[in-house]
Amino acid sequence: MTQPFDERGKELRDLFFETTQELLQSLNDDSLKLEQAPGDQETIRSIRRTVHTIKGDAAAAGFRELSELAHAIEDALTLESVSDNALLVQLGFTAADTFGGMISAYQVQGELPGTAAVVDLVQKLTSGPKAKDAADKSSRPAATDVQWTEYERLSAESLRAEGKKVLHIVAHIDPLCAMPIAARQLVTNAIASIAQILGARPESGANVEVQRIDLLVATSQSDKLLISRCEIPTVIKKVECLEFGRAMQNQPSMVVNDAAPESTHDQAIDAHPAATPNSKDDGLRSTALGTLLRVDSERIDNVLNLVGELIIGKSMLQQVGQEFGSRFSRDPLRLRFADAMAFQARVLNDLQRSVMKIRMVPVEQLFRRFPRIVRDTAQRCGKEVTLELSGQDTDLDKVLLDAIAEPLAHIVRNAISHGIESPAQRTAAGKPSTGKLVLNAYHQANQLIVEVSDDGCGVDAEKVKLKALKMGVISASDAERMTQQEIVDLVFRPGFSTADEVTEVSGRGVGLDVVREVLHRLKGTVELETNPGAGTKFRLRLPLTLAIIKALLFRIESRLYAIPLNTVAEIARAKECDLHRVDKWEVLQLRGDVLPLMRLGGAPPEDSLHTKKKIFVLVINFGGRKWGLIVDALESEEELVIKALDDQTIATDLVSGASILGDGRVVLIMNLGAVVGRFTTSSRDGLPAGLFHNKTALTAPEVRQ
Amino acid sequence: MNAKPVRVLVVDDSALMRKLIPQILATDNSIEVVGTAIDGNFGLKKIEELKPQVVTLDLEMPGLGGLDTLKEIVRRHRVPVIVVSSHSTSGASVTLKALSLGAFDFVAKPNDVSSRMQEIARELISKIKAAAQSRGIQIYSSADFPTPVAHLKNKGVPPQQPSRIVAIGISTGGPQSLQLMLSQMPGDFPGSIVVVQHMPDGFTDMFARRLDECCALNVKEAQSGDLLLAGRVLICPGNKHLKVKRLPLGDVAILSDDPLVNGHRPSVDVLFKSVAEEFGQRAIGVLMTGMGEDGAQGLGLMKTSGAMTIAQGEQSCVVFGMPKVAIERGFAQRVVELDAMAATLQAQCGRGGAQVARAAGKN
Repeated sequence: MTQPFDERGKELRDLFFETTQELLQSLNDDSLKLEQAPGDQETIRSIRRTVHTIKGDAAAAGFRELSELAHAIEDALTLESVSDNALLVQLGFTAADTFGGMISAYQVQGELPGTAAVVDLVQKLTSGPKAKDAADKSSRPAATDVQWTEYERLSAESLRAEGKKVLHIVAHIDPLCAMPIAARQLVTNAIASIAQILGARPESGANVEVQRIDLLVATSQSDKLLISRCEIPTVIKKVECLEFGRAMQNQPSMVVNDAAPESTHDQAIDAHPAATPNSKDDGLRSTALGTLLRVDSERIDNVLNLVGELIIGKSMLQQVGQEFGSRFSRDPLRLRFADAMAFQARVLNDLQRSVMKIRMVPVEQLFRRFPRIVRDTAQRCGKEVTLELSGQDTDLDKVLLDAIAEPLAHIVRNAISHGIESPAQRTAAGKPSTGKLVLNAYHQANQLIVEVSDDGCGVDAEKVKLKALKMGVISASDAERMTQQEIVDLVFRPGFSTADEVTEVSGRGVGLDVVREVLHRLKGTVELETNPGAGTKFRLRLPLTLAIIKALLFRIESRLYAIPLNTVAEIARAKECDLHRVDKWEVLQLRGDVLPLMRLGGAPPEDSLHTKKKIFVLVINFGGRKWGLIVDALESEEELVIKALDDQTIATDLVSGASILGDGRVVLIMNLGAVVGRFTTSSRDGLPAGLFHNKTALTAPEVRQ
Repeated sequence: MNAKPVRVLVVDDSALMRKLIPQILATDNSIEVVGTAIDGNFGLKKIEELKPQVVTLDLEMPGLGGLDTLKEIVRRHRVPVIVVSSHSTSGASVTLKALSLGAFDFVAKPNDVSSRMQEIARELISKIKAAAQSRGIQIYSSADFPTPVAHLKNKGVPPQQPSRIVAIGISTGGPQSLQLMLSQMPGDFPGSIVVVQHMPDGFTDMFARRLDECCALNVKEAQSGDLLLAGRVLICPGNKHLKVKRLPLGDVAILSDDPLVNGHRPSVDVLFKSVAEEFGQRAIGVLMTGMGEDGAQGLGLMKTSGAMTIAQGEQSCVVFGMPKVAIERGFAQRVVELDAMAATLQAQCGRGGAQVARAAGKN
């Protein structure tokens, strides 16, 4: 019988880890809400319910410490504690943090974090009458701690009525005594010879080690004699003797009829009225949750992979179909084949979209963490900030969502600590004293955009420039030439921080360079727009999904590459001789605009034959600017199923993946973010030509023709 | 066993419990979890949709809370409800309230699981089966309960020796049945009542207090050394066995940590056996609603030692298990339905407490 439960243990724990994240989130949400609406009973109840659920779940998953802590907190969260709202809010936040810490520790089976902060708050909340109680207790004579049973008290009363003296003797056992159990027997024997023992604690025969012995005795001897009998050297350290009547005062009356039911009972029930029916959106929410299906993301990935294979299969079929069509153009079967192909393509499309949707979750899941982050950061920095959220129902792949959580949090903390000014500064600048931070998410083409904008002081380009010069990131001549935007973008360089001092808040060893790096890894980008004095806007762009893209296939030096079609603004034809050189850049004049070019292959020899060579320039929208990408030939437009490449296969970030075409050829998918990045950083040291040159480190997998 | 599995709906706001409870129930193939619901509103909807035979209900939920949900289920659907309750003072209080509102029974959520998991699993499974077999919900309207009777308490009267000792063993359906029965008894009832109600620790204290509030009798959770007095009801605490002992100055209750008997602690058999030994024909044994057969054998011992033995009748039993076994084995001298139980005990113990007490004292 044990077996199945043990096996389930792990699954149960995993589920616990997963579900508690939601619970911790609502704990944070409610604490924030309580801070806004002090003393709101419904909110306190909700917090209590959440802690209660955590308690039960932790117990069920076998995490005793967590369950016990939650239990203590639940008890402290009574409606009576409303009087100190700030303390209650603090308890909510501290509890969420501590629980989180404990859960992480459980996950890695590490050492549990200290709970002193929470315990301290719980004590503060529950102090008052109870603490006083405890103090009273300790000041009372030791003898009254013991509860004699009704029968023992009855015996005492009746013997006293007979004229006997009834005494409560407390013998403290010497801590050095080697055999406390034997000590008990010695004392009992010594007393039994001169008095009648009515009761004993611990009860005679109980096999427990104690520090003291309590005896209720009736005797006609003097107290002194009894005490001297008990004082056995090296065994008993101290003996107290009290008249039974005195101890009685503090004991419940024996006449049980008078024992009024304790009032705590009613309160306990009243503190728990059935929750009133909730607001409408809560009902909706619960409905949505009720039909939720928890599926291991690996299973979805499997399905997704299979769909990918199907799409490859589709292009294979299409190719065969085309070949068939050209060979037997009159065959009526050709049309039927084409019909079937079209039908299959449509269903496949739907299938792909549905599978993608499974992985999508609303950005809300990410955004809801931010109220707490903003509150804490603002408090620590002494700023006043309100947070506005919009576009929470925008969908995004769960994996991407999780991946951008940290970068986004960093940007937000950054915006509060560096962007938004202190209330005094703001008032001086004629702005409202409370700063505004806006998180917005929306879809654009095949991308998800997340914007973080603040109405703070903006990025001071001059300051950035000076700093960059000082750090040697740029040369003086660079500084001369760089545009405002280019200078501002320097903040994304590794190790760059414009803050005068590193603060605890945003200076966590993570710079904006890390943010950019993460975004690049996700095939996304980060942009910065700033308006000195008026605010800053960070814009994160992410591909909606990683798995399948519409791509433009082209050749560079006879190798096949692809880029996402949605990044291509237009395709221009040119000859080598149309290209000009400005400084270290190759540029192309395109309808009056000067387009910086990226040449990935090797530079052509400068002979007349080559200057007439026709090339294509892909005009790419990237990072808010246009770039030209020189390619030798265009191949086709295809739907590509991206296969991730592991580090052993390919050791560069310039390629984000590979795909297999219908005819079995392999195509490499270019990571534009990294390519553009490489170009802009290295252009100053000379042309980075030949980035994708045949002889460079990048070796494409063997191409089967 | 029935070929068709018992259809169960799990209502709990904890995702973990919505997973764990069906897992536990899946170990028994005569039970089928037909659905889960995250709160009361949703639970009620699913009851209509899925028509479960038994509902397990968490009491602490957002939205429509546990008690309100229970009221609705009892009023509209009449599906037996097993409350899955937490181990805390407030949890106990709400749970007992749920029982008085018509919940079939309850299972205490584990507070330190792994070790007790199987025990809880077994308990939950057997309670679900019992609930499925019960004849729906026993509902007592408030008219069945005399109004609370603090003023009727036998105040100021010195405690008296009881005329007879009434030992009651009861399980599923017990809280409601005991409340109904004890509230019908007068404050000057001359007998002393000792009760073993199958209930985990942490609940019995609250249970005793609730009973004390609505009864003229004095009800108290038993402690070792408590006196058996006329008009007093001692409820055995959870996780202890209750025995009785005659001592020179009076009769007392003794609690012990002896091992489980019949899978129970407290066990009715332990109480009945000790009552039979100590009080013989001065005792009355009453075996009431509940599943299993705890107490049947003890009732037999009581009968042998000359005590009066009573089993609750099938009509009024929420689960006709323990009394059924006792009746089948011929251990019950009388079979009494719940509504007649209070009167029967009064007739047996006598009303004029003092005289009977003197008469009984000669025993």
